[in-house]
Formats: sequence, structure tokens, C-alpha cells
Amino acid sequence: MSLALEERPSVLESGGNGGGPARRAIYLWAWRLFRREWRQQVLVLALVALAVAATVVGVAFGYNAAHSADSTFGAANSLMTFDGSGRADVTAARQAFGTIEEIAHTSIAIPGSLDKVDVRAQDPNGKFGHPMLRLVTGRYPTGAGEIALTRAAATSFNVQVGGRLVDNGHARTVVGLVENPFDLNDNFALVAPGQITSPTQVTILFNASPQKVMDFRPTGNATGIGTRGALNQTAAAAAILAVETISLLFVGLVSAAGFAVMAQRRLRALGMLGALGATDRHVRLAMVANGVVAGVVGSVIGAVVGLMSWIVLAPQIEKLAKHRIDVFHLPWWAIGMAVALAVLTAVAAAWWPARSAARASIVTALSGRPAPPKPAHRFAGAGGVMLLAGFACLAFADRTKPNAYLIIAGTVTTTFGMLFLGPLFIRAIAVVGRRAPIALRLALRDLARYQARSAAALGAISLALAIAATVAVSAAALAAPRSTANLPTNEILVYLDNSNNAVFVEGAAGVPVRTAAQTQAVQTKVGALAATLHAVAIPLTQAVNPASGTFSLDQSGPRGSGLSIRHKGPASASSSAGGIDVKVPVQLARVTTIHRGGHTGIELTGTVPLYIATPALLRHYGINTTDINANTDIVTARTDTKGLVVTAPRGGPAAPRGPYEWQPTIQLAKLPTYTSDPGTLLTTHALRAFGLKPISAGWLIQTPHPLTASQINTAQRAASGAGIAIATHRGEASYAKLRNGATAIGILVALGILAMTVGLIRSETANDLRTLAATGATSTTRRTLTGATAGALALLGALLGTGGAYLALIAWHRSDLHPLTHVPIANLVVIIVGLPLIAVTAGWLLAGREPSTIAHQPLD
Amino acid sequence: MSALELRGVSKVYGDGPTEVHALRNVDLSVEAGMLVAVMGPSGSGKSTLLTIAGSLEVPTSGEVLVDGVPVANMSRNDRARLRRRSIGYVFQDFNLLAGLTSVENVALPLELDGVTAKKARVAGMHALEELGIGDRASHFPDELSGGERQRVAIARAVVGDRHLLLADEPSGALDSVNAEAVIRLVRAACQRGVAGVIVTHDAQLASWADRVVFLRDGRIVDQTMPPPGPESLLSPGATS
Repeated sequence: MSLALEERPSVLESGGNGGGPARRAIYLWAWRLFRREWRQQVLVLALVALAVAATVVGVAFGYNAAHSADSTFGAANSLMTFDGSGRADVTAARQAFGTIEEIAHTSIAIPGSLDKVDVRAQDPNGKFGHPMLRLVTGRYPTGAGEIALTRAAATSFNVQVGGRLVDNGHARTVVGLVENPFDLNDNFALVAPGQITSPTQVTILFNASPQKVMDFRPTGNATGIGTRGALNQTAAAAAILAVETISLLFVGLVSAAGFAVMAQRRLRALGMLGALGATDRHVRLAMVANGVVAGVVGSVIGAVVGLMSWIVLAPQIEKLAKHRIDVFHLPWWAIGMAVALAVLTAVAAAWWPARSAARASIVTALSGRPAPPKPAHRFAGAGGVMLLAGFACLAFADRTKPNAYLIIAGTVTTTFGMLFLGPLFIRAIAVVGRRAPIALRLALRDLARYQARSAAALGAISLALAIAATVAVSAAALAAPRSTANLPTNEILVYLDNSNNAVFVEGAAGVPVRTAAQTQAVQTKVGALAATLHAVAIPLTQAVNPASGTFSLDQSGPRGSGLSIRHKGPASASSSAGGIDVKVPVQLARVTTIHRGGHTGIELTGTVPLYIATPALLRHYGINTTDINANTDIVTARTDTKGLVVTAPRGGPAAPRGPYEWQPTIQLAKLPTYTSDPGTLLTTHALRAFGLKPISAGWLIQTPHPLTASQINTAQRAASGAGIAIATHRGEASYAKLRNGATAIGILVALGILAMTVGLIRSETANDLRTLAATGATSTTRRTLTGATAGALALLGALLGTGGAYLALIAWHRSDLHPLTHVPIANLVVIIVGLPLIAVTAGWLLAGREPSTIAHQPLD
Repeated sequence: MSALELRGVSKVYGDGPTEVHALRNVDLSVEAGMLVAVMGPSGSGKSTLLTIAGSLEVPTSGEVLVDGVPVANMSRNDRARLRRRSIGYVFQDFNLLAGLTSVENVALPLELDGVTAKKARVAGMHALEELGIGDRASHFPDELSGGERQRVAIARAVVGDRHLLLADEPSGALDSVNAEAVIRLVRAACQRGVAGVIVTHDAQLASWADRVVFLRDGRIVDQTMPPPGPESLLSPGATS
């Protein structure tokens, strides 16, 4: 027989790599193997797809979540605001800038609340302002008796379309629901242009060059001048870049771990390929081709899943971003780039194990033995340097004015640092387990033996958990009590209504004077309100100087045009007809003597309201009365009280102006630091020592869970008819969901990587299992082996991830580490203890079957 | 000129206390058309001899010449080309690539050498037909019996213009009927001018060889010309 070829292709003469036919054969083999073994690659594919899907959602979110300047500028590039008396400036601006759009503002008080709603007279078709208005239902107001409200305002006023709203003495029909599509938090009422005759503020929108805006000189009534900047676009681009970088890092690590696994599985086949005469390049190509296929399939699936997820999530994200989102308004270039880069990253990740496989001795490859691990200290040095460089980048990124490039460089180098340090930790844990029972010892040694893929897997697990820990710690820091938040999310502060705290005398909000019977009646209503919230109302009392007078708020004047406050003298304790009588409580303040226009007066700054430290309030805060020193006047958590004194208004009009002042003895205690919380307390000792008298000021209701919007609305309605007003948490959303969601996702991803890696390590050591079984080891030993392998890798990943996250956050927050003192203990315990336990349990349950084959399996 | 020549070849694995001398100063020459069987106990260096002869490993000392060309001076790529063009391997556990059909497995060395897929497939098909398994050409390895797989492996080892066939226990995983069929195919290839080296424990199979080399502790301790066996009936000059 003749098996020789009749002719040889010319390419042979060149002694090359076989050219196109060779590449075709390799691609064909790689594709067939992918099709045959896709189940073994499903975890890699799933993780790559997950990363790409998360990138698509992240990029879409980053692009759309940024607050748009359109919410305040509309279609204009500049705005100015003047107070209500700035008509001349508006006219001057019209002459200076040509076409301007004028929006007049006033406000309406929400019954039962300290909050007000902005009323705007704005043309829905205005040249510049039209993007800031969207009709939700009904129609825009056109006449004098018409008004449209945002949904939140309608809820606050408890009216619907077609209902009547009385504001400042004007009855108007609600003709529609409107919103600012660029700012869903913008709570306002809309009236037709020209319907606010005495505006408190006027905003003008216009287009002008920054220089022209700078050159304009208002007469002094301008309260704000703004020009639209490029900050939003920059922030969005930085967010997109950051999301893509982290995602690609994750894709790279997962792919590297997965392809290291794949290369080991195919080692004998690759050795055979070499024995047949394949060059190193051919061998590399076989693995890289697999990387291309896995990268393309994973990325395309990820992109589709990501887009579908975005479409589903967009309405929820609208609530989070507080503005309307067009689901197809996406940075398609960035999404395309993310998909392409994910494929490239997968290919690059496949290249490294491909290179190792190509370099391995053919005889070793044919035997199926993995290459001996490289010394861990070689990587550790580079890892340490990278880690330090990463922390330095984050430290210099300047949290107050973030530098996106330094953040990204810091994140990337920190991640690579952790990856390079992985082998050292894996070796270390094997050394630590030297004296452990046989199954545990073997498991830890196997991790070290298969260092190439366990280190890559450790890197991917650490990164996933580092992201989860970073989100959890940051969310805890954001949700922590801060001096900028008014109240905790589960608290209602009930005030006796004094018309939205309109009465301020010498910096203090007046407390309405009520008879005992009136106070008791209000107390009953507050008690009922607390009961509906499954809470108890704690009475709040303040202190007044008995020598100071009672002030009367005369409500006969038009609202919005100023209130008339009249001093009635010290003895009066009853309400005056048509007004509210108030007493001004003592407070903590800094008193400064000022000289102006030949007159000398005083100025109070840094005022802090004082509440009496009643036993009930102290008990509520968990403070024992015996813990307060006998001579303490004030108990507080504030550390900024140096130079503050207790002040109280003096007596009648004949008395000289200016407060009485007392220098208090202050004792620090663990009290809340929210701005509106009664957290600075006047002791009963001070009450006696300064000769002050208590006055009922309100109630504190603390609910077992954060208050819902519906509960707050119900409370507001109840308050409006009861002569009280309530205050609740404003601003920040609840971060608990974000914290817990990030932790859960991080753990799920880590478990996926563990399943991929541990499954392979244990399958490769099936021979050991068989030997163990032959020497009498029970299924418990086999289960322990798998469980310990998974648990050890999970524990290392959790410790490295959490530790790395904390070190990175310390570098980031270096100028103020206070936010990091709020540790999300439950989340970290779940990551550091829970994940290893889940891994051990899953490994234990899924292992234990007696191995049916020996490790050295034929290729075919 | 010998198809394969080993001159003073030694191979040492490891160093220091773990040093193992797998081969010690081995000289071996295999002429075209000759089949040499290598026998010896486990650990005697048989497989190492084969891997060094096939350029899969580099000797610690000594020289290997294939078709008179020294392998030591070749680059990795040149050695790969030598394996593609001149050397065919047959392993005990077949080592067919699972993702490729029988004919694709056979055609693979040609395709790696730049032969177009179509021509390589024709050559592969021809090789399979010569070995009597043309009807199994489109089957994947896991759809073949052990004997069929080894025939595919032999077809892959001889396809093209190979003139050195190295077989490591080619019948180790086969029953006696298939084992004899395989050795007949190897013998037939040698009779077409291919130089063959076969490592085996089986004296019965070794009796098919023109020469038997005995290895012990890495040294050739004996070489013998076996008495004419059943293969002598197949030789052109045989008398009945």
C-alpha cells in the first residue's frame, strides 16, 4: 500500500507552521471540543456572561443615573435666581441676554408637616423650561383657578385630579399631575404663568456665554447664578470606565481560572498534538481558539442578558436615580467596547495557560501530570509592590474631588497585587495545615499542588468578595448616623404646631403655649398615632426663662408676605385671638457682640436646641440617670460645644435686648447626632440652677422598622387635624437592600468559582481518593477532602477580599476614617464565616461518592 | 544511512538525591524496513528510549540522528516538523483526539504540515482503507472498539511520507486477536520500507521483530536476532 502523498504543498518547503490548513485543523478541533465539552465550560461561560451582563447594566446605569443638569437648566445653558423683589434685574437680564424664560416661585405649607411645597408659575411650552415639565395625567393649568401637582405633592395635600386645593387663601382646582422628568424628587405645584403675583423667588433661564453671564451685574437681589457644566458627562464617563475596568478584571480572573482548568483537562490531548508534530504555536492556538469561542459565546449571552435585565430593571432604577430613564438611551459604543474587550480579555486569559501548556514537555503532558508549581515568593514580591502602589493611587485619588484615572489604576493594581499574593497565601495555608488530620492536610496540599488554577480562582473569588465588602462597608458608612441627616429612618418627631416653625425669636423656634387640658388632648392623639405604628410616644419638654415674655404670631396678614410677631409680656399664657402664642425656649448658642451703624447688638450663632433630660427620654437613649454627674448642666454627644452658652430671651419690651447667658457644665454621653433629634439635653439640675421652667414641646416616636412613605403620609394627615406637625427622615435612601444584595451576589459568584475550581482539583486527584478508599478511608474522609478544599479556598478568598477592600477603603478615606467605624458586622460575618461554611457544607454533601475511575484516563 | 541512530545516549532525570539514570550510554541503529523490538522490565528505560528516539525528549548526553540528521541541533519548531514528516507514534492507550473523527485524526499531521484539508482527508481515507477500517472513517474515537482505535492510531502514524514508526506497547490495551492484527500492520509497514521500533513486554509480539533489544537499568544488556516467526511467511523471499 502507498500512504505517501502524491504532492507536497509548497508551504512545507518553507518549514513554516503549516499555514492556513494547520490553523483550520486546530480551529476545527477547538470548536468540536467546545461543543463536546460545553457542559464542563458552562461555569466559565456563566461567569463571563454574568460579568458582561453586569457591565452592560452597570454601564447603562452609570450613563443614565447621573443627575442631569436639565433638571434645573432645562434647555438653557444659564440661570439666575432673584428674590421676589428683583423685577428690575429680570428686566435688565432680558435686555442683556435677549430671550429669557421667567419662572416665578412661592410656597404652600403642607398641613401637618414642617415641609413646604414649591409653587411655580411656568409655561409648559417655554423655550427653555419645557424639558423640566412632563404631564403625567390630566392637563396643564391654564387659568387663575387651576393648579397641577406632582404625585408626591398630591399625596401630601391628599387631593386628586379634579379636587380642590386651598393655598394661601386661594382655592384652585387640581387639573393634572406633573413631574420634572429629570428630577423625580422635585416636589412642586404648577400654576399658569402670571398666577403668582407676589413671588418669593424668580428664576430666569437663558442662553449666554459664560463671559456674558459674568459681565452681568445684578442690583443685589440675585441669589444664584449658574452655568451648565460638563461635570455630568465627565462623571458618567468615569463611572462607565470604572465599571468596565472592574468587570474586565473579573472576566480576566474568571477566564484565567477557567482556562487553567481547561488546559489541565486537555493536557494529554495537547501533548498528543505536540507528539504529532504540532508546533508550540499550534498548541497555543488550540487553547486560544477555545478562549475566543468561550469569550464570544459568554459575551454575547452576557450582552443579551444584560440588555434584557436593564429593560426590566430600568423602572426600579428610575426610582433610585430619581429621574425618568429612556431604556434605549444607552452608550452603545461603550457596550460594544465592553463586549469586545471581554472577548479580548478571555482570549488573553486563555493565552497564559496556553503558553504554559505549549512550553510543557510533551512527555510530561502525555502523562497528564501538572507542571510543578512555581515558587510562590517570585509572585509575592511583585504582588506586594502592586498592592502598595494600588493603595497609594487610591490614597492620592482625593475623595473630595475624585480622580477617575487614579481610582481605576488603584483598583487594577490592588487586584493584581492580591492575585500575585494568592500563591503565597495558598502555600502558607498548606504549611499551617501540616499537623491537621489527613483529609484536611491533603486538601490543603492539593491546593498548593494545583497552585496555578487555585491562585487564579482565589483572585477571582477575592475580587468578587472585595466588591461585595466594599459595597457593604460603603453603604454602612452612608447609612450611619451623620451630622447632616435630620433624623433616623425609623423616627417621627412631633411638634406642637406653630405654623411651620415660623416664629423664630433670637434663633430659636417658638414653642406654642398650651393649657394642660389642650396638651392632654394632643397627647391622646399622638399616643393614638404612635399606637398605629406599634410604637410609644415619648414626651419632649424644653425649658423657658419665666422672665421672658410670650410672643404672638398674628396670622391675619397674607401668607408669604411676612408674619407679624408681637410681644405680649411675660404673664400671658393664653392664645390670642386669630394668632398663636409662643414661648421661646432656652438654647445653646455662641453669643457675639456686633457693632453696626453706630449700634451695638448681639448675634447668636451655632444654636443648638435643648430638651430636658427627663427620665423617660434618658431611658429611651439607654442612659442611666445615675451616670449623669450631679453638677452636669448639659448632656450631649457633640464635641463642638466649646464657647457655647445657654441663652434665653429677656423679659418684656422694656427690658434690654439680648439674652440671659449661663456657662454650662457639659458632660459627653452616647446620644444621637442627627440634626433634628433631641440629642443635647438639659439636666434637671440645670433646670433648678438656672431657675427655668419646663414647657411641653413635642413627642418622639421611634418605630421598630424604617417608616414607609405610606406611614409618613398617614401620620401627616393625622397630624394636620390635631394641631401638631411632624418631621421625619429626609434625603438618603435605605442602604440595607444594597448592602445585602451586594453580599448575596458576591457570595453566589464566589460559590460558582469554587464549584468550577474545586470540582477540577478533586477530579484530578481521583487517584488519591481511590488510594484512600483502598486503604480503608470512609466516605467521611472523601467528603472532608472536598469540603476542606472548598472551605479553605473560600476562607482565603473571604479574608483576602475583605482585607483588601478595607485596606483600599482606608487608603481612600485616609483624610477622615470616621465613616469606616460603622462596620456592617452581619454582612462581613456572612462573607467571612458564612461563605466558608456554605462551601464546606456543599463540598461535604456533593462529594463522598466512591471514585469509579482512576485519574489517568485515555484521551479517547 | 540508518533511519534512526542513537549514539551513546544517556538520560538523567532529577538531580542530587533524586537523580535517576533512565538510559546509560545506549547505542542503537535501525535501518529502513527493519522492525526492532525493545524489551525489558519496568523502569528499564524502554519508554524513555522511545521518547528520545521520537524527539519528544532531549537526551542528557549522546546523539540522536533521524535519517542521518542530528536532532540535538534542531529548534523546537524543526523538531515538530520532523515529527510531522518523518516520525509516527503509536501509544498503548491510542491517544486519538476526541473531537475529531477517525479520518480527521489520521489527516491531522498532514494538515498541521500545511496540506489542504481536502488532500489530507483523501490521504487519511486511503490510509484507513489500507488498514481495513475505511467504513469507520466518520466515526469519533469513542464510537470505535479498542482494535479499531489502534488501527486508526497506526494509520495516523504512517500517513504521509513517514519512515520511522515508534510504538509504545501498541497492543497493551488489546486482546490477543487484536494484538496480533496490530503487529501485523506494523510489520507490513516496515516491509514497505518504514523503520520500526516497538516497545513491548510480550515475547510473542517481539518475535515478529527483526531484532530484539533487551534493556535493564538503562543499559542494553543483550541484542538478539529471533528465530524466524510467523512473520517470515510474509517476507517476499520466504519459501513455503
